[in-house]
Amino acid sequence: MTVSPVGRDIDRIDGRAKVTGAARYSADYPASNPAVQPAHAYLVTSTIARGSITAMDTVAAQNAPGVIQVYSPFNRLGLRAVPGAGENYAPLEDTQIRFRGQIIAMVVAERSEQARDAARLVRTSYDEQPPRLSLADEPRVPATGPPGVPAPSSTVLAPGVPSIEAALAASAVVVEASFHQPMQHPVAMEPHSVLAEWNSDQTQLTLHSGAQLPHTSAMVAAMRLGVAPAAVRLIAPYVGGGFGSRVFPWFDAALAAAAARQLNRPVMLVLAREQVFTVVGHRSAVDQRITLGASRDGVLNAVRHVSDAAVPFVGYRWMQPAVDTSAVLYKIPNVEFDQRHVMLDVPPTCAMRAPNEAPGAFALETAMDELAVATGLDPVALRLRNYATVAPGTDRGWSSKHLDDCYRIGARRFGWSARRATPRSRVDGQWLVGMGMASAIYPGGRRPEPIQARIQLRDDDTALVSSATADTGTGATTLLAITGAHGLGIPLRRVSSEAGDTALPQGAPSVGSTAAASTVPAVEAAVTAVVAALIQEAVTNPQSPWHGTDSGDLTYVNGQLRGAGRAMPFGRLLTTIGRRSVEATATAQPGPEVAGYHFHSFGAHFCEVRVNRHTGEPRVTRFTTVVDAGRIVNAQAARSQLVGGVIFGIGHALLEDNPLELDTGRLAAGNLADYMVPVNADIPDIDIHFLDRPDPVVNNLGARGLGELGTVGSAAAVGNAIYNATGKRIRDLPITLDKLL
Amino acid sequence: MRAYTFTQPRAVREAVTQAGTDTAFLAGGTTLVDLMKLDVMTPARVVDINRLPLRGIKLDRDGLHIGALERMSDVAADRNVRRDYPMIAQALQLSASAQLRNMASIGGNLLQRTRCGYFRDVSTPCNKREPGTGCAALTGINRTHAILGTSDACVATHPSDLAVALVALGTHVHLVSGRGTRTVPLDGFYALPGSTPDVENVLRPGELITGITVPRSMWAANSVYLKIRDRQSYEFALTSAAVAIEWRGRTIRSARIAAGGVGTKPWRLPAVERALTGRPATPDVFESAVRTAADGARPLPHNGFKPALLRRTLVRALTVLAESR
Repeated sequence: MTVSPVGRDIDRIDGRAKVTGAARYSADYPASNPAVQPAHAYLVTSTIARGSITAMDTVAAQNAPGVIQVYSPFNRLGLRAVPGAGENYAPLEDTQIRFRGQIIAMVVAERSEQARDAARLVRTSYDEQPPRLSLADEPRVPATGPPGVPAPSSTVLAPGVPSIEAALAASAVVVEASFHQPMQHPVAMEPHSVLAEWNSDQTQLTLHSGAQLPHTSAMVAAMRLGVAPAAVRLIAPYVGGGFGSRVFPWFDAALAAAAARQLNRPVMLVLAREQVFTVVGHRSAVDQRITLGASRDGVLNAVRHVSDAAVPFVGYRWMQPAVDTSAVLYKIPNVEFDQRHVMLDVPPTCAMRAPNEAPGAFALETAMDELAVATGLDPVALRLRNYATVAPGTDRGWSSKHLDDCYRIGARRFGWSARRATPRSRVDGQWLVGMGMASAIYPGGRRPEPIQARIQLRDDDTALVSSATADTGTGATTLLAITGAHGLGIPLRRVSSEAGDTALPQGAPSVGSTAAASTVPAVEAAVTAVVAALIQEAVTNPQSPWHGTDSGDLTYVNGQLRGAGRAMPFGRLLTTIGRRSVEATATAQPGPEVAGYHFHSFGAHFCEVRVNRHTGEPRVTRFTTVVDAGRIVNAQAARSQLVGGVIFGIGHALLEDNPLELDTGRLAAGNLADYMVPVNADIPDIDIHFLDRPDPVVNNLGARGLGELGTVGSAAAVGNAIYNATGKRIRDLPITLDKLL
Repeated sequence: MRAYTFTQPRAVREAVTQAGTDTAFLAGGTTLVDLMKLDVMTPARVVDINRLPLRGIKLDRDGLHIGALERMSDVAADRNVRRDYPMIAQALQLSASAQLRNMASIGGNLLQRTRCGYFRDVSTPCNKREPGTGCAALTGINRTHAILGTSDACVATHPSDLAVALVALGTHVHLVSGRGTRTVPLDGFYALPGSTPDVENVLRPGELITGITVPRSMWAANSVYLKIRDRQSYEFALTSAAVAIEWRGRTIRSARIAAGGVGTKPWRLPAVERALTGRPATPDVFESAVRTAADGARPLPHNGFKPALLRRTLVRALTVLAESR
């Protein structure tokens, strides 16, 4: 009897390759023909935020050592914009400047250093216009958003209530608070890189370039290049972090591929770190205002959530912070949200790390803490008092929801009962000590589109599970193997897996915390299909001992075929019939069984902070998060995801910020010293506990998504703990020491 | 990075002979290589001094002698330094990252360039990088910039933690050039920006730091380096305090105090030292002594918190030191 690996602490199957340096990231690939070394490209970016290029002197660059070609709006590559997939313009195709840090030229040279040196010799003259950069001052745009996204504004009113204003006016306790969050960057460790290589007759392009959606990235690159999607293969089994920055490809891949086509030679392009901050998308700055109306005993009557998020003129993302927070988290009879936009001349935005929900939950869960203060209720009790079993304005419930247990278990594990409600009531030497909590909620269901996986059974009794999902460091490749081993009933060590290659069946996108919940059923379907194929071989192959047997008489159990009085491992059967392997590809897609449910994962965060009473530094000293994400597939990888999410939350609360100069459009930070994310010294042991209760609807295993859950609400828990420690409510992120002096 | 000539001399005399105008000495490379990649520094010549015999951490009757090529991590780990000069070990340990400390040299640390984002970005004006072009930091993002010793030409903060501790302890720097050797006090080694922020110290073209001497004192062993910043590692100081006290019972016989993160050079605070002399170590004495610490400060739009933070940093450092007595 084989013990299923599902739910256990499983080391990443690619862990050894990663820590020994054997894993190849995009810029590590050599050209396929050793005789043809790749040329190296380097980008030149704009130094103004809005206007146009009047002239560009590339003579010195063109004549610099090793330079092969300088591409610019005056020596174009002919790329096409693909509206709806990333930015709405193609670089080097016109002279317009849309933001500071925009690609305006690309130098290709024999060596990367030569390309970089020559890029510095390009001289550009501009006709400059005043950029529109102020989130506070530029006009609000009623949001329309791209097609397919939820309505950006909505009002739900209880019968007889004329307006949200009336509902708020009728509330005994009203809390209103405004929040500001600055620009934030995904800052994946691997800078965006590509090796682009065409075959000899330029009919097939291979891209090595990290992607969260391999097939989509290949397709978008193909469209930008004007070739058929089938002509592009993207290979990126290792990706040094996505965090939303690799949902759509930026123009790096298309630029390198277009140059490679013109030069008839492989081209490698690696963004300099400072270029990653403007060529790659960020999370927009956002202002939010939340108004809560409640009874004296804390029963919510009305919530209004208004947001003004920056949207770049170049696209592509429209932030909607209320949709999966205020609109679903609590039982509220009257709710209104209005998610407006402010168009600015800033670099593109992307769907960064719980893109809507992290900012939305910071605002909502901070406001809830303020309501707890205003009503004198314990923050946990307040949340339980407003517990939702259906989404506001609907009779639609959840596939599975145990958030109430997350609150209770979390409070117990953390020692919440020791908290004193009055701020500044715990002092330890130089330090003010406070506790705070907040809820986490994030969509946890499956992708709506079909997701594929393939399983190959081999004559050595091993199996290979393949699906072109992306492993951005999440453990997706390991999850394929775990799910395959579980379904096939064989030990994990006999299962290998592969992902991140568009030659494989189209897998689940690594976005929106959907990859695990969507991959699991695809692998289950592939198990069923490959077992059927194995049985078919067994009954039809003349050398098989079961030749001629009715296929209905055979069963597959734990790696063996059984029936007609005999049993045989699949490897021996394949050896017997002279086949190296048998394989099958299968597709899974949610059916009518998921209709009528909301799918969310839930959690409760509890946090202790210390704030120095002399110098104000806030330091997180304890953190507990209890998670309801259905059944856990790989406890170790899931814990890592949650720990990472909480760390993002701590950075969101205390550190992350890239100030924008309102007159020039220049971002203050262009490296990982100045753009601060937490370091080890900032992070205490983080206690993660999974309820591990299977979701009866989402898929057979009962596993929902959890990738982004940890980053939702964790910033509010930190801020609420700071309030408890100091009595200071900071609604302007990040909460730095100068705000606490 | 532009083409440059590269030499690796084995003797100090050879090194200073090879050096001249437009020369950069290469030790740990943790500042120089970065800035060359960014085109901020474009030396015509790079003289790698790592083969020079400028090593050694030695304690004798005169004090602590450290060779210019000693690595930050080695000095921080040295037993004598930790025992007799704790603030030096602490300042080193709170600097940069372990990887950088393993590479960066003591001489290089004293000469590291400012982290002002405009200095490091060649697309912006900077009087320190390109004299006469202007100072973008005055109207730009300046939360981390200096409030003391600034001028209309430059508000860049001196980045070194070590230099703050060394200035407090009255350290001397040993220099060599083609014209011979000389020794200067570290406090006088650094220049205020004035109208020439590109001139950061008294080094002559091609002159090389060979080592430092930190004098013996009655206060160095009772010292602390406190660094205040947004995150707990791998960040430059918003403020820092190097405080050393000579005690007589519960009374402060004398104090040596310098501040970092606030000045265009490591900032000695003699008025605070005087205000503490002969006084008991009480919160009231500390509060009153630091009142003048930020006198003359010229806060910028984003760093108006620094004068108060500086005073609080000093009080906290004094409190820590008094409590650990």
